[in-house]
Amino acid sequence: MKKAADHTKPKRYGMVIDLDKCTGCGACMVACFAENNIPFKKDESEKLLSITWMRVYKLSNKKKYPDTDICYLPRPCMHCEGHEGHSPCVSVCPATVTDYSTETGIVSQIYTRCFGCRYCMAACPYHARYFNWWDPVWPKGMEKMLSPDVSVRMRGVVEKCSFCYHRYQRAKDKAYVEGRTDVEEEEYQTACTQACPARAITFGDLNNPKHKVYELKQDPHAFRLLERLGTNPKVYYVSSREWVRKSGDNYLKHEEPGHIATKH
Amino acid sequence: MDSALIPKGVQRCSLGKFTLLIAVVGAVLLWGVYAMLLCWIKGLNQTNMNDYYGFALWIWADLAVIALGGGAFFTGFLKYIVGKDELKNIINYAVLIGFICYSSALLILAIDIGQPLRGWFIFWHANVHSMLTEVAFCLSCYFAVLTIEYIPLILENRQLNKVPFFHHLAHNMHGIMAVFAATGAFLSFFHQGSLGGVSGVLFGRPFGYREGVFVWPWTFFLFTWSAAAYGPSFTLMCTKILEKASGKQLVKDNVVDLLAKISGWMILTYIIAKIADTLYWALVTAPARGHTLMDFYSNNPVYGIWILVLEIVLGGIIPAIILVVPGTRRNGYLRMTAIILGVIGVSVNRWVMVLQVMAVPVMPFDFWAMYYPSWQEVATTILPVAYGIILIALSYRYLPIFPQEPELNPVD
Amino acid sequence: MKIDRRSFLSLGLGVAAGSVLSPLPWKLTDDLSIWTQTWPWTPVPKDGAVHYVHSVSTLCSGGCGIQVRKVDDRAIKIEGMEGYPGSDGKACNQCLAGIQKLYGPDHIQTPLKRVGNRGEGRFAPISWDEAMSMVAEQLKKLRTEGKSQTLGCVVEREYGTIPQLFKRFAKVYGSPNFMTMPSYLDGYEQIFKIMQGEEAIPGFDLENADYILSFGSGLVEGWGSAPRMFQANSLWKEKGVPVVQFEPRLSNTAAKATQWVPINPGAEAILALGLAHVIIKENLFHYDFVNRYSARFEAWEDGQGTEQKGFKDRVLDRYDPRYVSRVTGVPSSQIEKIAREFAKAESPIALCGRGAGHTPGAIFEFHAVHALNGLVGNINRKGGVWALPKPDYIAWPEPALDEVAKKGGDTPRVDGAGTETYPAASSLTHRLPAMINDAEESPIQVLLVHGANPCYCLPDTETVRAAFEKIPCIVSFASHMDETALMADLILPDHGHLEKYQDVPAPEGLSVPVIGLARPVVAPLYDTRHVGDTVIQLAKAMGGGMADSFPWKNYEECLRKTLGQHWKTMEEKGWFSPDFSGPDWNEAFETPTRNFVFIPERYGKDTEEAGVSPIEVEGDPITFPMVMIPFDHVRIAAGPVGNAPFVMKTIEDTLLRDKDIFVQVHPKTAGKAGLEEGVLAVLSTPKGSAKVRVHVYDGIQPGLVAVPRGLGRGSGDEFMADKGVNVNRLIGPVEDPVSGLNAAWGIRANLTIA
Repeated sequence: MKKAADHTKPKRYGMVIDLDKCTGCGACMVACFAENNIPFKKDESEKLLSITWMRVYKLSNKKKYPDTDICYLPRPCMHCEGHEGHSPCVSVCPATVTDYSTETGIVSQIYTRCFGCRYCMAACPYHARYFNWWDPVWPKGMEKMLSPDVSVRMRGVVEKCSFCYHRYQRAKDKAYVEGRTDVEEEEYQTACTQACPARAITFGDLNNPKHKVYELKQDPHAFRLLERLGTNPKVYYVSSREWVRKSGDNYLKHEEPGHIATKH
Repeated sequence: MDSALIPKGVQRCSLGKFTLLIAVVGAVLLWGVYAMLLCWIKGLNQTNMNDYYGFALWIWADLAVIALGGGAFFTGFLKYIVGKDELKNIINYAVLIGFICYSSALLILAIDIGQPLRGWFIFWHANVHSMLTEVAFCLSCYFAVLTIEYIPLILENRQLNKVPFFHHLAHNMHGIMAVFAATGAFLSFFHQGSLGGVSGVLFGRPFGYREGVFVWPWTFFLFTWSAAAYGPSFTLMCTKILEKASGKQLVKDNVVDLLAKISGWMILTYIIAKIADTLYWALVTAPARGHTLMDFYSNNPVYGIWILVLEIVLGGIIPAIILVVPGTRRNGYLRMTAIILGVIGVSVNRWVMVLQVMAVPVMPFDFWAMYYPSWQEVATTILPVAYGIILIALSYRYLPIFPQEPELNPVD
Repeated sequence: MKIDRRSFLSLGLGVAAGSVLSPLPWKLTDDLSIWTQTWPWTPVPKDGAVHYVHSVSTLCSGGCGIQVRKVDDRAIKIEGMEGYPGSDGKACNQCLAGIQKLYGPDHIQTPLKRVGNRGEGRFAPISWDEAMSMVAEQLKKLRTEGKSQTLGCVVEREYGTIPQLFKRFAKVYGSPNFMTMPSYLDGYEQIFKIMQGEEAIPGFDLENADYILSFGSGLVEGWGSAPRMFQANSLWKEKGVPVVQFEPRLSNTAAKATQWVPINPGAEAILALGLAHVIIKENLFHYDFVNRYSARFEAWEDGQGTEQKGFKDRVLDRYDPRYVSRVTGVPSSQIEKIAREFAKAESPIALCGRGAGHTPGAIFEFHAVHALNGLVGNINRKGGVWALPKPDYIAWPEPALDEVAKKGGDTPRVDGAGTETYPAASSLTHRLPAMINDAEESPIQVLLVHGANPCYCLPDTETVRAAFEKIPCIVSFASHMDETALMADLILPDHGHLEKYQDVPAPEGLSVPVIGLARPVVAPLYDTRHVGDTVIQLAKAMGGGMADSFPWKNYEECLRKTLGQHWKTMEEKGWFSPDFSGPDWNEAFETPTRNFVFIPERYGKDTEEAGVSPIEVEGDPITFPMVMIPFDHVRIAAGPVGNAPFVMKTIEDTLLRDKDIFVQVHPKTAGKAGLEEGVLAVLSTPKGSAKVRVHVYDGIQPGLVAVPRGLGRGSGDEFMADKGVNVNRLIGPVEDPVSGLNAAWGIRANLTIA
């Protein structure tokens, strides 16, 4: 786990996603695909073989008509902090491909080092990690749309959401040129946050009281996915609907969300 | 024609018959090799694995053969460290099976990874926190040990042994074999354990996750223990198969009985530990994460509670009792039944710890992921079996694997 | 022998040991790993200078303001343009993925001439000169024969310089048959005409409304400008604005709404009148507006001097909550509660246009819903419904018409719009196929199609195809292959949406007028031509008065001159917003009585006796025991242009799996038909049948079969084509007798196991 550079305070970048606002439109996914050179195949309807760093899940309260209700839940990589940076995937990767940065709180992935054992995928309960089962192929001419900011992944490696880390680097470079040590909140935003037409996603440094996420995560209706596992994710969700909050974790019959002591 | 290569004092089938066997098994092997090449050249899209099922048939096969190959280290441990000298009559075969199992495991891993050509990064960029790193290191080292253990056997081939250098080398290697056996046992404890740790440390997967001691989850110890317990059973099963195939008794009953007894007691103690572990997991570990035991065994077409019964009762308690009670153990049929049940039991355990871990939904809105292997996966999994049969056939034919064979089957 | 073997073995061992100790294997191992990291077949994107170009995307009906990130001359990513009215920094899925349309394989690269049979898709490239002269020749011939009125033009929407060039072309050529594709906006257009006496387009001040009643509108599913609607929806959440959704199916909008009220499909108008009943009965209506600025609320005298019942009495007589409850399935207590809440809100707004509004619906619905807005006085007011003037910045001089043009222009339109039967309609394109099929000789001899995709989007696509078969000459100006272009004889490909200038007026539903400017983000990739240029050149080729009516050198000049002083603003800012302050109530209405008319002229007679009954759908209930309803899904584009690959990738696996479309049915309906989740079934309607898969869904009224719109594209790239079923193939139009609009909300159907 990398130590934070001395001149900047350690950050914990994270998200707060308002599920009341999310309409499940999928713009976050599309923006992510375009930003991160995500490949596409003829058939992407087999979701277990479809690379979607950001995936919008559809939740249901499983009640009968007309009491049925649904809710969409966008799921990027949770950039779990685990216990002192031991996120589920980081600790299992045999080749130190993936790492938890104590400087940014971002879980990185070095594609050229990954040799595709997929242990990290087994470790991630959020299914946030995707394997390149195929060589990525762009139809003739379409490779023109590839962004030079993000490398194209070769077949046989695992990839996942990076919180658009290249945007952080870009912002940091800009700050450096301008003689600043820190990047401002609006200078570093992920592609999905930028794209979300419902403005349901808020991104920022969870440690920084000046960032919007700092307040938002303290909403009494805020929760994280599978908190009880001790993954300590950095993506928070807010929903006014109790059944949605309850869908964020597993509970025994007598248990109520919000009353369970979590490890972190 | 090849009689000059066949050990003295034993009878072997005709070369023609032998060639036919090799040809038939070789065809299966080639099929496997073809599938393997497909996976290497076209990539893992040849399999039915997916992003929910990143670990599947191969990893199960890997874990299973390593568990079954556990007979090598444990028999070695018993012979060289504990001093059960009778076991020298089966140790060669145990080593051979171990060698096959471990070389297969390595091969499977080489097919399973997405970037085989840079698989060595696991050593180069090793992450000491990862169970898989531990597995890779111990597995490779132990495979080296098994190779060292297997080499003197090869050198004992009638013709090779005539070379004085090889003769002396084999002799000297035998002399220090205890050291290697000890090393092997030590390494095995670790890699069997770390294989157990592979799913045990997955705190994101409540089905596989176990609490434990220091950095090791309970599955770490359970895997070592079960490999030690069931490995000898597998050695005995393979011996029986070879005896059936050759039509000869190859190992004396007392040796078999001793190994079966040890296996039985190991299974018994293991299954008690396993039951304790299961109870703690079902009553404490899983509920703390919001799951009841039945969450893991319902609402899906395959994984019912039957699988737990199969593993623990049929594959654990019953063989343990049969093998521990002298009366039942000495009954050939019952003993064999127990051994087969045991082999099934440990294989089911490894299956559960790989495939069911992948299948169980963790997010409440997620679903059970079902999976069946593609033919390429099946073929590449059968590949080591074919390879094993060929290696056993060759070794049996040309090497003095069973010291008791000439005595039990005198040639006129 | 022994020595030989020994030396051989020693040599072997030596070589092995030597190799291992030499750098060779290690170097090779390293090289191999480096090779895997730089596989030549894995593309490496080229780096370059980064800059942004602002534009407006025309892929969706909303017109999203976009900024395109470019690296050198490559467009690499589309993002929303900050500050653009409506979309404000955001864009819809289709527009976000727009680059894939630019570089995608179905971009037409050169003019094409049909060589195979109609619709077979076999084309041969030809030169522009050849193509242009072929069209000009056809047109000249027709005109000489005095059949100028048989020229037809189909465009998607009426506004903007490009459609207006087509309209002008048709006019000076001598044909009234300039047609636009059906949309709920047609309903609003007619309602403004008959209730407010205005030629207007609707604007909804949703950001300032504080109570939303939606009669099946897919507010977050493509209704209006999608990104604007998403933002409005979030604003409602922040402000706690109640949103009530009436719909038989739990759509995304229903799920987002504060309250989802399931309703029998087709009964929306009756529900609206039921709400009006409660509002009137309990005196909750806006006194000032109703008393001073409306007409025919109370009893009135018609032209013959007979007293007619006013809106008040009609509603009170007929639509009491108990009756309405019976018809709509909504409990009367709920009707009363919602009516009270709606009427008591400061700025309540009632909306209609089913789903994304691809079919207009019955005029009764529009009337009833708009009457609700009238009752609460929320017309041309903050937080209300605005009648925006149609974009009027295109002030070209009236063209001089020659005799042919005058004569041809005076003939009645083929689709019947603006005729005595349907005086308020300006386009009834869905009626065109039947007109052609019923005639001996096609009343349309040459059809020009731009931006529209009637062969995919019109109901009953089989009939549409048959009609198109009968048209002797079809010219498509598509930039991408679509179902209609496939039927064309000639394709004169337009530049793609990121390759050209274009004015994009009026983001749908916005309450302020806006004109956006789409501009070339990249230079045209292929041998395509701006459709504006093509039309201007065609007119010039026609010569005479036609040429004179198109005095511009090219389209760009036309656009610059049209926009005049605003051009600069638009170039800089990307859009221009004309001053608009809606007139007060005393000046707002241009009906003969200068009032908001609760009971329009024609409308009154027809409903006097029978009252409003639910629109019946086609099909007999015995053969077809279920009812199919199409639904819009926000991740499936159902308009003329289909999904880009990225958007295809977002489609849920409960809507599409491989090539199979999923239809949604209630567990009871599925159970009765012996269907289970995921099974293959045959969905049949009076219009045809299709192979589908079943998705059992709790959130739908029993007896219905919901089918997503926008799939089953018969052309386009491999990512989109031939996946699922085009629901328009299974449904036909149902003519609304008053407006002529397509009132179909569904069709009778059956679903049986395959």
